[in-house]
Amino acid sequence: MLLDFNKLGAWKWALSGICALMALFLLLPILFIVALSFGSSRWLIFPPPGWTLKWYEELFADPRWLGAALTSAKIGVIVMVLSVALGLLASLALVRGKFRGRAVLRAFFLTPMVLPVVIVAVALYAAFLRLGINGTLPGFVIAHLIVALPFAIITITGALETFDPAIEDAAILCGASPWEARLRVTLPGIRHGLFSAAIFSFLISWDEVVLAIFMASPSLQTLPVKVWTTLRQDLTPVIAAASTLLVALTVILMIAAALIRKGKSE
Amino acid sequence: MTAPFLHINGIRKTYGNVVATDHVELAIAEGEFMTFLGPSGSGKSTTLYILAGFQDPTAGDIRLRGQSILQTPSHKRNIGMVFQRYTLFPHLSVGENVAFPLRVRRMGQDEVAAKVKRALSLVRLDGFEDRMPAKMSGGQQQRVALARALVYDPPVLLMDEPLSALDKKLREEIQFEIRRIHQETGVTILYVTHDQEEALRLSDRIAIFNQGKIEQVGTGPELYANPATHFVADFIGDSTFLAGQLAGVSGNRAGLRFADGTLVADVPLHGSGHAGQAAELMLRPERIELAPEPGAAGASLPVTVEDMTFLGNNTTVAARTSWGDALSVRLNFGHPLSGRIARGDSLYIRWSPEAAHAFVRG
Repeated sequence: MLLDFNKLGAWKWALSGICALMALFLLLPILFIVALSFGSSRWLIFPPPGWTLKWYEELFADPRWLGAALTSAKIGVIVMVLSVALGLLASLALVRGKFRGRAVLRAFFLTPMVLPVVIVAVALYAAFLRLGINGTLPGFVIAHLIVALPFAIITITGALETFDPAIEDAAILCGASPWEARLRVTLPGIRHGLFSAAIFSFLISWDEVVLAIFMASPSLQTLPVKVWTTLRQDLTPVIAAASTLLVALTVILMIAAALIRKGKSE
Repeated sequence: MTAPFLHINGIRKTYGNVVATDHVELAIAEGEFMTFLGPSGSGKSTTLYILAGFQDPTAGDIRLRGQSILQTPSHKRNIGMVFQRYTLFPHLSVGENVAFPLRVRRMGQDEVAAKVKRALSLVRLDGFEDRMPAKMSGGQQQRVALARALVYDPPVLLMDEPLSALDKKLREEIQFEIRRIHQETGVTILYVTHDQEEALRLSDRIAIFNQGKIEQVGTGPELYANPATHFVADFIGDSTFLAGQLAGVSGNRAGLRFADGTLVADVPLHGSGHAGQAAELMLRPERIELAPEPGAAGASLPVTVEDMTFLGNNTTVAARTSWGDALSVRLNFGHPLSGRIARGDSLYIRWSPEAAHAFVRG
């Protein structure tokens, strides 16, 4: 190959260096926050003068933080289930369907990805006011589903496209009814795509803050919203502790998604 | 007369204005190995898909043991099929792949295990139960697919170019296996291919498809020795076509006059024609003799040698008639003329009257 890494000579070191710098640049804010969450200073001084776990104690002692985390998790799980279920049905139609305007429909399904989130948020806020579901669980779920669904559709559509429909035909000739074939052969065949879609749908909801700020009420707020509102009142290292836990779950799920992809390629 | 085992009765399939198959008519005996041979787009795969139930014919019927199967959905037809592409279920082991048809039939565990073992043994993959499809070669995967298609003892096995993704050596190996399996199980096989050698190697009978129609049905030797149309003669084996005109037709024999005035009498004529109509004479290269002088019996024509190619067991001589038609003749190794002819030599081709066929130009 023309650009074989091992034949680049001195460039090899330069490229490795640039790569390491970029990784550091991307990770630095997160490392900073993690360090601060264990730092003993109340004033978020860096480098921390000493180390402590008291911010985590404070975090777990406050039922409002726990409540926000539970709300986030609940919304995330519901969004995940609905996003995968609806994404699967939409993808089946987009990939296996033979109707006119499929390409247009496909592009249409992806519009929430390109629309500015804040615009979607304002529009939903106005619409939900009429429906009276602002600040409710269904409101949160619908809002997050709108931004999660395009990712689920992209992932599941991709998995379905690489799954040869002849395999489904083979199952049918083997005696499986069309739905049995889809359930026992096609679904397991695209399970990597379904898992990835589930993880990304959950993460999108888990990390989402703009829509959540619009949807939140004093009695119902997600973890990112709680971080945001606390930040505006009081700059406390408890926020760093909460953020660290948020990031930790995200990282764990990203690793899970990467492992699923690795399992698929093997 | 009893109804044929499998009767493809006047199948016609159109997509809008495009005719995929037109009045395909074929009776297949139980246990027969029937091959659909033809170029791509000739309707052979469409016919197979209609049998499988993936497509509905526009007109016609398909009857198995006298009963129409068109109203039965694919999954209840109890037909086996091996596809062109690899269709093993990727998330299931080899054993579970082969067991799948039995599991959807709610068969007992012990019976499933016994049948899977027997099916894998049939395709010589004993002990591969726990292997995953992704860890197998293409040839092994197609053998598992064959085991999966046969494990529930279907009356008919459809094979849609199952070997086209494999290399030549492996293809021949598995062709041999398919023949053996056909003999061992006695299953009726409908096999689609565009490879004439594969068709000749495997089949009891071959149906030649062209432009949605069956041109001729017969055993390999029948099709080779007695092709009904120009297309069949051209598709099966090598042939030489010499353009001429019909001169005197009587029944299914005719005389042919070439551009140089030579008259060849009493040639078997395929299709109906009348004197003066454009026609062509077909000869197989191994039935043509090359000689320095015209023959006493039979027919002959003067030709000019254009090129010679040594191919080991024979030398292929390319020659041209006085009016410009190209032809090729094979001289077996050791033939008195081989090595003694040169480009530009004037020689004669000779053949016995029964070796030639006349086709009316359509």
